[in-house]
Amino acid sequence: MATRTIGSGQVGRSVPRLEGAAKVTGRAEYVHNIRLPKMLIGKIFRSTVAQGRIKSLDVSAARALPGVYRVVTIDDVKTVIPNPLYGPAFHDQPILADGKVHYIGEPVAVVLATDPYIAEAAASLIEAEYEELPAVFDEIEAMTSAAVVHDELRPAGTFPDLKHLKGKKNTNIALDFHLRRGDPGKAFAEADHVFEHTFRSQQVLHLPLEPFVSAAELTETGLTIHTASQSPSFVRIEIARLLGWPENKVRVKVPYLGGGFGAKLYIKLEAMVAALTLLTRRPVKISLTMEEQFYTLTKHAATFRIKSAIKNGRITGRDCEVWWNGGAYADIGPRITQKSGFTAPGPYDIDNVSIDSYSLYTNLTPAGALRGFGIPQLVWAYESHTDMMARALKLDPVEFRRNNILRDGRAQATGTAMKDAAIEAVLDRLALRMNMKAPFDHGGGTVKRGRGIAIGFKASISPTTSIAIVNVAADGSVTLYCSTVDMGQGSDTANAQLVAEVLNIPAESIKVVHPDTDVTPYDMATLGSRSLYHMGHAVRLAAEDAKAKLAALAREVGVPEGANVPVAELFQKKYKMQAGNIIGTGSYIPSYVPPDANGLTPEATPFWMVGGTGAEVEVDTETGHVRVTKLINVADVGRPVNPRIVETQLSGAAVMQFGFTMQEKIELDGGQITNASFADYKIPSIVDIPPVMQNEAVESEQGSGPFGAKGVGESGTFGVSPAIANAIEDACGVRLTELPLTAEKVYRALRAAQGKPLEE
Amino acid sequence: MKFTGALSVPAPRAAVYEKVRDARFFASCIDGVRDLAQIGPDQYAAVFETKVAYMKFSFKVTVAVTRADPPSQIEAAVEGAPLGIVGRMTATSITTLTEVGDGTKIDYAVDATLTGKLGSLGQPVLRSKAREMEKQFAARLRAAFEPSEAAP
Amino acid sequence: MTPFELAEPKTLKEAVGLLDADDPTVRPIAGGTALMLMMKAGVFRPSKLVSLRAIKELTSIEIVKGELTVGATTPLAVLEHSEAVRMHAPVITRALRTLSNIRVRNVATVGGALAHADPHMDLPPVLIALGARVVVQGRSGARTIPVADLFAGYFETVLAKDELIASLIVPAQDGRRAAYLKCTTRAVHDWPALGVAVSVAADGKAIKNASIVISAATETPMRMSAAEKAASGATDDAALRRAGDAAAAEAELISDGQGSAAYKKELVRVYVARALRAALGAA
Repeated sequence: MATRTIGSGQVGRSVPRLEGAAKVTGRAEYVHNIRLPKMLIGKIFRSTVAQGRIKSLDVSAARALPGVYRVVTIDDVKTVIPNPLYGPAFHDQPILADGKVHYIGEPVAVVLATDPYIAEAAASLIEAEYEELPAVFDEIEAMTSAAVVHDELRPAGTFPDLKHLKGKKNTNIALDFHLRRGDPGKAFAEADHVFEHTFRSQQVLHLPLEPFVSAAELTETGLTIHTASQSPSFVRIEIARLLGWPENKVRVKVPYLGGGFGAKLYIKLEAMVAALTLLTRRPVKISLTMEEQFYTLTKHAATFRIKSAIKNGRITGRDCEVWWNGGAYADIGPRITQKSGFTAPGPYDIDNVSIDSYSLYTNLTPAGALRGFGIPQLVWAYESHTDMMARALKLDPVEFRRNNILRDGRAQATGTAMKDAAIEAVLDRLALRMNMKAPFDHGGGTVKRGRGIAIGFKASISPTTSIAIVNVAADGSVTLYCSTVDMGQGSDTANAQLVAEVLNIPAESIKVVHPDTDVTPYDMATLGSRSLYHMGHAVRLAAEDAKAKLAALAREVGVPEGANVPVAELFQKKYKMQAGNIIGTGSYIPSYVPPDANGLTPEATPFWMVGGTGAEVEVDTETGHVRVTKLINVADVGRPVNPRIVETQLSGAAVMQFGFTMQEKIELDGGQITNASFADYKIPSIVDIPPVMQNEAVESEQGSGPFGAKGVGESGTFGVSPAIANAIEDACGVRLTELPLTAEKVYRALRAAQGKPLEE
Repeated sequence: MKFTGALSVPAPRAAVYEKVRDARFFASCIDGVRDLAQIGPDQYAAVFETKVAYMKFSFKVTVAVTRADPPSQIEAAVEGAPLGIVGRMTATSITTLTEVGDGTKIDYAVDATLTGKLGSLGQPVLRSKAREMEKQFAARLRAAFEPSEAAP
Repeated sequence: MTPFELAEPKTLKEAVGLLDADDPTVRPIAGGTALMLMMKAGVFRPSKLVSLRAIKELTSIEIVKGELTVGATTPLAVLEHSEAVRMHAPVITRALRTLSNIRVRNVATVGGALAHADPHMDLPPVLIALGARVVVQGRSGARTIPVADLFAGYFETVLAKDELIASLIVPAQDGRRAAYLKCTTRAVHDWPALGVAVSVAADGKAIKNASIVISAATETPMRMSAAEKAASGATDDAALRRAGDAAAAEAELISDGQGSAAYKKELVRVYVARALRAALGAA
């Protein structure tokens, strides 16, 4: 990947990760390694019914097992937290099930012991009796089903635009978002062609190799929570709210994370360990197993019906209906429904648009953000749809896209004008690297070959705040304090490079202090590829503030402007010894205008992310096996701050989405997940990955970004699924509309196309 | 998990209905059911034990006849939890009897769900076990209506 | 996991003596790759595990009277790298490279791979196709069982609870050629959705007789006798396809997370023919 450095040469340089050596030598700090004095371990007893009233809960056998310290139920929790409901969008999730359970795997009770094996053995001795109630699992059925997951909706006050949902009854719709622009009815009436297709994305999950883990301890000043969280500031605020405490009595510390991908956002285990610590007055730690991750958070399964009007090769109208399967608790689903929902028509210049996006409760594991915040589900549908239309109209798929894409200055569905979004550049580079103009060998015999492309885009969640502190010590060494969580994406290194660029010192010399809410300032969360842009600005501003203060110090001690005097000498001159600090601070919140009644706003997002993928495949027509032989990922990341990390972010995102495309799926039977292990839920391993995989950041600048940069963590996911489905149709003439693209599905489609469908 | 099957027995429908309506007889056709006790009208409690290789699972179950439509149909529901491991088993069965000549055709459809640990990890092997039990059930049912010397 | 007793006998005889014919909570453990999963899941709670790791007499690989004899606690990785194995039956070496991963092969043993009786294991169909047998040690002596007769069901063998597999014997192959094809449907590294092992006696491309075994898609590894019949005397590719058709017709297949029975039937059809082709092209 090209290196484009600027100014001090720190931005644009592939600085090796600051934490690399510590990680590969096993010295990096993780919550899993924490042992606190007198610490109790919690093991969770989980629901075995999808929807039901708890008739009785018998914990006597568990309590009687030697070595068990205590068994805790919601009644105990309520003695320390009277209203134990939490959640970022809705206060709908109880710390432990309260009278009712809403999905299989929901926490019902916790056993505490110093020995985790005893706690686990005791948890299996708990007996619960349930009165089973009708359950609903499918997002379309949830729209109208008689089975209602929650008796009453309880939106959190956090988002002002959800307040009207408070107290709504007899509905599974947590949020519905609607957008109307232009006159779609007229566009469809006047169209040459109308196409309508429906696509489905399956339920998958994050599966970070470090499962969820949190520990809490009481201190003389309050409560300290050690947690593998992507959102330490949110955890502090939400725990303080639950306890009715001031924020400064809650301290949240986050070391490195072994992956997050959106799973470890908002509150997961933190409220539970806080309650258990307050109940027992002893430190409590809960570490989930891999299996338990399946009962904590998934990605939204989604159904997307998309309809387009075509006139003279141009898309003149588009109707989008999206149903998001949110599971039993809203988590951040309503945000996805709206913030991603408004990009459902895709990166195309369409004057007449209608969008209806529904966030639905079902009796499944809650769904939340997963690397793309809903975008991969949308791109899967609209880019499959794009190719299907091009094929039907006998148009070149690249040219059809080029004729319709959004160019800078043109209004996106919300009415927000596109700016610094290199959609055309991504399409061009993709077409070039895929050699789309050249003839293609489609294979023969029983092995057919095909190729396909897809492009997608995403708006950044807005408005959100980041704050950073840069501390220059008396010897000139620099420390950065910020609450961005390095979960493997390389944010410590990137933030250090931004400080280094401003202060003109090597990035490697900067120390980055990890999130500790007693020490590091507020940050909304590490999510949605927002950090490099938002925290990047805060870090830049803090460094510039420090630089200005250093200049003032120099003036104060009589050093002429532009003199090359070492920083340590400035401090020496002022304090007559090695003493003192310079503290620079920076705070950033972008401007934002909330959508009006029609879903329209002139300022929907501070920046756009653009990503595209090209795929070449081989299909074994005798078995349906698909081998992806080449995967090209191209993205607009603005100016790459660290080209090497940018490349690994693109490839990591693409591989993750490749797994969601080809092989991963949560299997369900009556609401029970039946493949809750790595043995049966197959994430890609090195042998699954396409033999040729290339990643490229196109030449571009994010005008409003720090040093022209913007986020990159998700862009590699956008185009993967539709590019591969498009390539499969190109290879063997069959179109799949439901993920994952398994060999059996391809084979069945081939048989159906021959008029010899395979029996069920 | 859904299972359906059918078998024909050389007995008149009314007689077959009488037998399969009797929970004790029905339970005797399922391998591993013991301690059957009536706990209410058309409601029974029992212990169900099953073994997969060297692993043994015991379930405390309740069985209820949820609908009896003489002489053609019986619906039953089974519900229970395994001992010593978190989980739950629920099953509904519909048995339909049709007259075929002098004999009776028995159609059965079972819809079973296993949740908790066994449901999340043990599906393939438990499916296999269920298929084996189903075969045994059909064989015992058939044997009950055959002239005794023809027992398998 | 709950506490249990761990015994570490030094001899096979001692190990057999520590087992209990009537108590299923007493189990032998070798590599533990399968048993530990059952224990961690809580579905198996042993009272006593008899570790076979310290038994030295069970780890040899030798050729005795033209037959390959492998001690039961030989790790799969040792088998994989054994020159004697590669010379005697190269299909075993090739199959092992697709079996799970290096970490598992380093600890899992030959005896465990057979005694565990999960139909998704890779070695059983290969060994059946090669006509292998196991020597089983019990309290009252040893007996020999063809691998083809070892499996009684999912996780079930014909072994008594106080019997141990002592060794595996693979007879001389006398120029027979063999192949094992592993078909996965969820990921490249996965348990097979279907395993097909074949061994053929052939004159050039003309098959004199064939042994055809399928696994993973069935409750236990199964010989496909109709397919074997169709393959014997085959001289062209159409005959190999007919063998595939015969196997598809006779196999009793199960639906699971890796595919429906109807789909697996088609996989059997295709893979049996491919395996025969591979065997004809193999050394």
